[in-house]
Amino acid sequence: MSKTHVTTTINGEPTEYLCEASQSMLDVLRDELDLTGTKEGCGSGDCGACSIIVDDRLVCACLMLGAEAEGRRVLTIEGMSHGDKLHPLQQKFIEMAALQCGVCTPGMLIAAKALLDRNPNPSETEVRFGLAGNLCRCTGYDKIVRAVLDVAAEQRETTR
Amino acid sequence: MMLREDRSPRRYEAALKVRGAARFTAEIPVASMLHAALVLSPLPSGRVGRIDAGEALALPGIVRVLTHAEMPRIDRPGVLIPLQGPDVHHAGQPVALVAATTPAAARRGAASVEVAYERRPAILNLADGEPFAPKTAGRTATDSRRGDPETALRQAEVAIGRRYTTATNNHHPMEPQCVTAQWDGERLTVLTTTQAVFAHRLAIAECFGLRPEDVRIVSHYLGGGFGAKGGAWFPHLVMAIAAARVLGRPLRLELTREQMFTLTGRRQETVQDLKLGATKDGRLTAIVHESLAPTSMFGEYADALATVTRVLHACPNVATRQRLARVNAPQPNPARAPGEGPGSFALESALDELAYELDLDPLELRLRNIAAHDQHVDLPWSSNGLRECYRAGAASFGWARRPMRPGSLREGHQAIGIGMAAACYPAYRMASEAAVGIGADGRVKVRCGTQDMGSGTYTVLAQLAAEALGMSYAEVDVELGDSLLPEGPYSGGSMATASFTPAVETAARDLRGRLLALASADAASPLAGIAPERMSIADGMIRSGNRSEPVSELVARRAPQGLEARAGAAPEARPDFSAFGFGAVFAEVRVDSDLGEVRVSRLTAAYAAGRILNPLLARSQFVGGLIWGVGMALHEATVMDPHLGRVVGTSLADYLIPVHADMPAFDIHMVEEDEPRLGSGGVKGIGMLGTVGTAAAIANAVFHATGRRVRDLPIRVEHLLRPD
Repeated sequence: MSKTHVTTTINGEPTEYLCEASQSMLDVLRDELDLTGTKEGCGSGDCGACSIIVDDRLVCACLMLGAEAEGRRVLTIEGMSHGDKLHPLQQKFIEMAALQCGVCTPGMLIAAKALLDRNPNPSETEVRFGLAGNLCRCTGYDKIVRAVLDVAAEQRETTR
Repeated sequence: MMLREDRSPRRYEAALKVRGAARFTAEIPVASMLHAALVLSPLPSGRVGRIDAGEALALPGIVRVLTHAEMPRIDRPGVLIPLQGPDVHHAGQPVALVAATTPAAARRGAASVEVAYERRPAILNLADGEPFAPKTAGRTATDSRRGDPETALRQAEVAIGRRYTTATNNHHPMEPQCVTAQWDGERLTVLTTTQAVFAHRLAIAECFGLRPEDVRIVSHYLGGGFGAKGGAWFPHLVMAIAAARVLGRPLRLELTREQMFTLTGRRQETVQDLKLGATKDGRLTAIVHESLAPTSMFGEYADALATVTRVLHACPNVATRQRLARVNAPQPNPARAPGEGPGSFALESALDELAYELDLDPLELRLRNIAAHDQHVDLPWSSNGLRECYRAGAASFGWARRPMRPGSLREGHQAIGIGMAAACYPAYRMASEAAVGIGADGRVKVRCGTQDMGSGTYTVLAQLAAEALGMSYAEVDVELGDSLLPEGPYSGGSMATASFTPAVETAARDLRGRLLALASADAASPLAGIAPERMSIADGMIRSGNRSEPVSELVARRAPQGLEARAGAAPEARPDFSAFGFGAVFAEVRVDSDLGEVRVSRLTAAYAAGRILNPLLARSQFVGGLIWGVGMALHEATVMDPHLGRVVGTSLADYLIPVHADMPAFDIHMVEEDEPRLGSGGVKGIGMLGTVGTAAAIANAVFHATGRRVRDLPIRVEHLLRPD
């Protein structure tokens, strides 16, 4: 089967890969590039575990073709921290124990980052509805919402 | 003293998980591995005829198509291991397995396999099955009887009888089940999503005629389980292992989300008849709880629906009876708070109904019926913190301000309702071993072959060893999820922590004793000659008076290979007490008067569940349990087509689980309990408790908001909008 050559940027790194025309971005990340931080929870865009950011837009990697990354900028959980320096959301999730099994966590963090990038001052309702597409079966979401609101408040404080 | 949440150790593996760096089963590559995809029966009952794999085999990447004709026979009564014969017992049952070089190729191959079926009659609805008595209900007896409930009911000053039903639910952990099976002659390595590395090791060894020590099961990170990764996963786990043996190559089978509706167990639907008798002043005089639930054509599983009924409230005359009927549907299995969840919905709804018959506050009714001992087994409680849970929960929630009359509270077009329920869950335990060691670098290592489903097992293992040794939490490493480790407990029934805690604490204390003896006997130690009982260890230093030495220096000098202590602990054979965790749940709901939409706005819950090791993570477990109750009450239902026998809607868009936007404000209280009599180190288990009573509290709140008693879960818009 002929493969498509894709040139893209993933987590700031220029990246090239070959993928099948029908291969999802999720399968490319996990199977071809060994970026397994992006999780597969459903493969049908219902759970948000595979959330990535493509050119500033939040996307379910399972609903995007690998070939569609051509010329774009892709951010996955592996690119959210800078070396040992965690993103404030990651740090806050650890501090508040806003995670349990950890399968929804990478997608949750990416979606939360996309939310705060778009809206640095969300209300609790905006967080709850903004992240409603990211399912979690363990935590009851409570600490996740508080972590996101805390980080938003702290970031406003530092940029003031 | 219970730790404060902000002083609790942070989650051990959190830094890995927030980076996406924790490798789950499906993310561990194995050289020359093949991928499996399944061909599923569309019929609920029938016999497989000719299977034409010609087209599939011609596709690129397809290595082989396996059917029951090629698979080795496995003798395992009571479970349906697929591909063992031509008979189909439920829609979605695997009838062929396609092995290919990539997952996508395998899926394409599976879609191209043609299967001919002979259709057979099927029983598709619970009502059409023939009720029978199962051997057990969960870990309990099927039926129970104390006193003379029938006479007591006839003579009761007030009596009610109601029917309640609950829906089929699926577990849906976020991580789909996965196995990678690798044979090396008569030795087998299985990387899989399991809640029980040791139980699965033994069962797999039996299936394949292997010695248990030749089977290694590995599960380092587990993306939730909730019951779906124990016995429920076993048949398909074994199928994949058998296929790998036939193929002569490592094989990975990863289930799709759709397959998780049919191949990984389910919470069985229930029909429950509850009769209560009481005096006019609200003392329970009789309870009769009879239930019917489905099981599959090939297996027998009954949730323990009556456990809560038998013990929660004081009542001299109680009869419970649990029946099953066979249907052509997937095998039910335990799901979070199996039995106690749906069973408590019936009991605690009925209690609310009785309170309204008596015109008595529902909390007051429960306070008048606190059980002084466990009447079911006629033993004293190890402890029963229910009264304190009622008090703490009611006070924090503001229960006292609740008007009795339904429909009294409104805000705009929302009717507001307040309801409550009580909860209990047995404190189970099983045998466990653990090892605690220390290396010359001063790092402590805990080794225990249990699993961490996400509940916090890594964290509490490290914490227990650190505390018992006098080392800091940050100095402890944990190894779990591997059958090469000392035998640890199953992760289920809220029993893992209670099972390994005494083993870890004993091993750590033993290691501590050996370290102190070593220091005492070592002429090179500043502590030489001091009696061990006069030494202490704190923050990694051994101290006595003004003399001290770092543990790491002692170990490096006297035991450069490191030291390890191993210990085991097992439950009492016949305890002379009954141990349960207790709780009280208070719910506030808002019901849109025009749309019938129900939202839970507040949940306050108080739990008395023995010793709490880590309140920060315990709170998460309680909240997590509560949302399973919210899901049961308002969202979750696996709908079966009554004519086709298939699951209707097999995605997480169709099967609703609570999301961020559904969540109430949580208010959790943990009642401190001293439990010296429990051999578990005082631990009672917490994971299930939050799911008990919660659905009833919500349904009772819906009644209080609307005056409408919904006895069928989940509560839907149509229940509240249809005319009376």
